[in-house]
Order: sequence, then C-alpha cells, then structure tokens
Amino acid sequence: MTAQSELPLSAETPVLSTDDERERSAYRRQEIFFWAPIVALGLIALICFLGPLVLPILAPIGGSISNANLAVFAPGHLLGTDPAGNDNLAKVLYGGRVSLEVGFATVGIGLLVGGGFGALAGFRSGWTDLVISRLFDALLSFPALVLAIVIATYLGPSELHVIYAISFFSIPAVGRLARANTLRIRSATFFAASRIAGANEWTILRRHVAPNILPNLLTFSFLSVSVSIIAEAALSFLGLGVPPPNPSWGNMLALGEQYLDLRPVLLFIPAVAIFLTILSLNLAGDALRARWAE
Amino acid sequence: MWRGRQEPPVAGWIGWVFSHDARIGFELLARITRAPILKLLVRRVVQAVPVVWLVSFITFALMNLLPGGSSGTALQLLGENATPSAIKALNIKLHLNEPFFTRYVHWIGGLFSGHLGNSVATGQSVAGILAERLPVTLELGLVSLVLSVVFSLLSAVVAAHQRGRIVDRANIAVSMLGLSVPNFVFALILVFVFAVKLHWLPSSGFTSISAGLGQNIRGMILPSLSIAFGLTCGYNRVLRADLVDQLVGADYVMLARSKGISERRILFGHALRNAAFGFLTLVGLNLGTIIGGVVLIEEIFSLPGIGQELVQSITYHDTLVVESVVVILAVTVIAANFMTDMVYSLLDPRIRYDRSE
Repeated sequence: MTAQSELPLSAETPVLSTDDERERSAYRRQEIFFWAPIVALGLIALICFLGPLVLPILAPIGGSISNANLAVFAPGHLLGTDPAGNDNLAKVLYGGRVSLEVGFATVGIGLLVGGGFGALAGFRSGWTDLVISRLFDALLSFPALVLAIVIATYLGPSELHVIYAISFFSIPAVGRLARANTLRIRSATFFAASRIAGANEWTILRRHVAPNILPNLLTFSFLSVSVSIIAEAALSFLGLGVPPPNPSWGNMLALGEQYLDLRPVLLFIPAVAIFLTILSLNLAGDALRARWAE
Repeated sequence: MWRGRQEPPVAGWIGWVFSHDARIGFELLARITRAPILKLLVRRVVQAVPVVWLVSFITFALMNLLPGGSSGTALQLLGENATPSAIKALNIKLHLNEPFFTRYVHWIGGLFSGHLGNSVATGQSVAGILAERLPVTLELGLVSLVLSVVFSLLSAVVAAHQRGRIVDRANIAVSMLGLSVPNFVFALILVFVFAVKLHWLPSSGFTSISAGLGQNIRGMILPSLSIAFGLTCGYNRVLRADLVDQLVGADYVMLARSKGISERRILFGHALRNAAFGFLTLVGLNLGTIIGGVVLIEEIFSLPGIGQELVQSITYHDTLVVESVVVILAVTVIAANFMTDMVYSLLDPRIRYDRSE
C-alpha cells in the first residue's frame, strides 16, 4: 500500500451527496429570486436616468408633426411616435424619471418625517403619542387618492406638488409602522439598560431605536414606492401631474385612452412600463421582507 | 359602591326598582361594563371622536387655506374677466369673506343638523347630489366586493388544497402579476379588449337598475371586474398563505387527519375558519378604500357616481360639495375599520385589545 492510498478518502473528502446538491440549488434559486428583481429595478432606473444621456435618444417634446403617428420599429423611432410627432421611447424614459423620482421622494419624505414622528410617539408615549397617533389615524382615514386630487388641483399641476400630495399619505403609513415597532423595542433589555445608564432621549432614539426599526421600515417603504408610483400615474392620468407637454406615464395613458381604437400601442407602451416597474418593486419588496423582517 | 344609607345612584335605583336590592343593579352595571367587547366598543368610539373631528378640520383647512382653494371659487364661477367688485359681491354672498373659524363652525353646525348646504356651481343641494350619486358608487363597490371575495375564496382554497403543485404555482404567479397592474390600467386594457376589439360590452355609460336591469349589468361588468381583479389578487395571497400555514403546521389539523377525516372536510370545516381572520381584516379595511378608490374607474367608464362628482366639484372649486363628500367618505372609512375591529374580536375570543395598537 502506498502512502497516498492510506488517506481516508471516503470519510473525509467532501463528496457531494444528492441532499447537498439539492440544498445548494435551492440556495442558488433563492439568491436568484432575491437579486433578479433588484437588478431589474436597477436597470430600469439606469435606463431612465442615464439612458437619455449616453444613448442617442431624441427629445421627448417638440417633435415635428411630419413624423406623427409612426408605427413601432419605424427607422429612428424604436417605439414609434405619438400624434404630436414625439418619440415614444424618449417619452417612456423621461416619464419613468418622473415616476421614479416621485415614488422614491414621497417614500423618502414618509420615512424621514413619518418615521421620525412615529418613533417619537412610540418612544415618549403619553400625550405626544396620543396626539401623533390620532393625527396619523385621521390622515389614513381619508380616501388617499381623493385627498391627493384635492391638493394637486389646488396647488396646480407640477411634479413638486404631486410629491407633496402623495406624501400626505406616505407619512402616516410609515409613521404608524414606526410607532408600532418602537413600542416593541421599548420592552427590550438594552432599552432599559441605556435608560438606566442615563442616556438622553436623542441618543437612545439614534443609537437604539433607529437601527432596530429601520429594517422593517425600509422593507415597508420599498413596497410603498409602488403605491406612490401608481398614485402619481393616477394623478397624471387625470391631468394633475407633470404639466402635459412633458411626458409622464400617467399622461401617456390618458393619450392612449384617447386613441384606444386607432393606436392602442400608445396605451400599451406606458402600461407595460408601469407593469414592469411595479412588478420588480413588488418582487424586490417581498424578497427584502423575507430576508430582513420577521 | 353604595353603602346603604346614601341615596343610590341610577344603577342602584334600577336594581332597587326590580328587586328591592340596589346591589343587583350595581352588579349588573359592573358586569356589563366589564364585558371585554363593550370595553373595546367604548374605547374605539372614544378614539374615533377626535379622529372624525381632525378629518373635518384637515379637510376644511385644506379646502380653504390652500392657494387655489375657496379663494379661487368666485374667479372660477365668474370666469377670467370678472371685475373685482363682482368677485367681492359673490364672496359676500357665499360667506367667503368671513373669517376662517366662523365659516368652519358654521359648516360643522350644518353637518350635525343635516343641512349640508348647496353646490355653488349648480345650486343643487349636497344631500340631493349624494342621494343621486351614492347609489351608483355603492352598486359598483358592492359588486366588486362580492366578486373579489368569491373569486379569492375559490382560488385560495383550490391553491391551498393543491399546494406546491402546478395549480398553486400558477395561482401565485397570476396574483403577483395582477398586483402589479394598477386597476385603472387594467380597466383601460379591458375596454380595449372587450369594447373596442370584440364589441361585447359597452365601453362607458350607465343605465340605472330601474331603467333596465340587463343594460345595468352589462354596463357594470367591466368597471367592477377592473376593481375586483386587483382586490382578488391581494385577498388570494393572504388567504392562501394562512390556509397553507394551518394545513401544514397546525396540531388540530394533524389530529383531524389521524382521525381519518377527509381532506376536504379539514379544509372547509377546520382550516378555513382559522385562516379566515387575516382575510376578513383585509376585506374590512378595504371597504372604505373601495368606495374612495373608484374615482378613476368612474372617470374611465363615465359612471355618474360619487367619484366623478368629486372630480367635477374639485375642478369647479365647489368647496362645499368637496368638503362634505370627503368628510363623508372618511367617516365611512373610519366606520368600516371600526366594524372590522368589532367583528374580528367577536370572531376570535383570544384577541384581547388590552393595549392600544
């Protein structure tokens, strides 16, 4: 017998059993399901924000009437043109900018303002809590879209006003969750310990409350970006969003409704764009929730 | 507690009248007030009062203090070329020149006494507008609600029964895809397919039930389907997940199986009852939002409901109509949430609302 063959090959070397393999492929599949929607979302954002800068994309407004109503795959216009002669591809990309900006801005505002007040309410309890949570309750009991329509109409159509209008219901939604999560943390030992150690309110909020409630809040916010994007599309559909010559997915849908019998493609382009964005947001949110939140 | 010699308070009197013993009255009162469901009821009502007040105040403040709010009403009604004196006269006529709080108190008083006022644009009374418009929205909301509950129950039960198999996977995929289509986009696609291409159903318009039931149903199919589809996908996901949880993990299911009870009976008799809570909560919480969320659907299908009225009134700066309708919708939402809470705690005695959530 040689020295080599004396090595206990069968026992020690890791031989892949079928169980192991199955586990690995399950793990791999899990990773794919986790990353695919996030990558898709990143791609959508990249194309919308960087695409017009690096690719030969035309301007979304000021098209000439001579190229009106070109079909899809027309030379120079990959997705055709609308009745005013504007390039549909350019419109979809610039519209996507608006949607993503509004979606993430409203949720960011919700996270900052709502998260802050919610955490404060859960942390302080007593009168502060009572006032803040009743205010959240009141804001959440408005039919969300109706309130947004009122605000957007009276302030006038602009992207900033849409952000204000939609923030009105992203703030209480995040806030209520922040409050509930903070209440749960209050009973933890580290919370009591830091109080006994004499840490002041702000320190506890920053060092103990924020890091512990943030995973849950971020997951929820991720899922509510899609709600904001839908709300933005709804407002622009009613003509209350970005003022009309500038494209947004909502006003593209409204145009599509007008030309439903003649040029249904005008409806399908923004519809598919919204669908893909919301789908990847929902899948990414689900994946994040499965990984982070309990 | 009443100690005998003193004058017994009301509760004591009741007991005394019926049995000549004041203590029975106290005991009765104590039992009633100690009943958890009543405690919950009282606490929820107490919580709801400031919320309703805040809703009314926020609405009024938004309508009157935003730059384009009630200050633009006169201009909107008289047109761009109105003279300043005409605007001033109209403002006085509509009481828009009075201070904010005076108007607020006046409006709230009107709400409580049932005088909702008149529309500035059409002169119609707000109560009349509601009576005319609300039935349409209620019909649409009710039909969509029933459709979504029936569809989601069916699909979730089948999916849970076939869990892990192809039917279940297809169900999950369809729900996820369905949740990613906003209902008004789905409505437009339905119009394109069934009205524009196939000519099966009308693309818009409304016939009242009294004018023709068949026409009414034909007009309601597309709008209610477009609302029900998204709801179905949401309900279905929740119910299917809870059902599978029960069927796979619960001890009583294992016991039922070992006793030889059929899978179908376990599903309907045991698991469904225990899994229904999340589903019922979601349905209840959505009641108010369905009514408020039909604005776009009513616009697309030109149904003369409350949502269409709201959009019109908002564009005409008809503040009184908007204020009243928004408050009524918000109170509906509050009431729906309240009922959900109550039903929930009645169904599941384990739930004790000892701490405010």
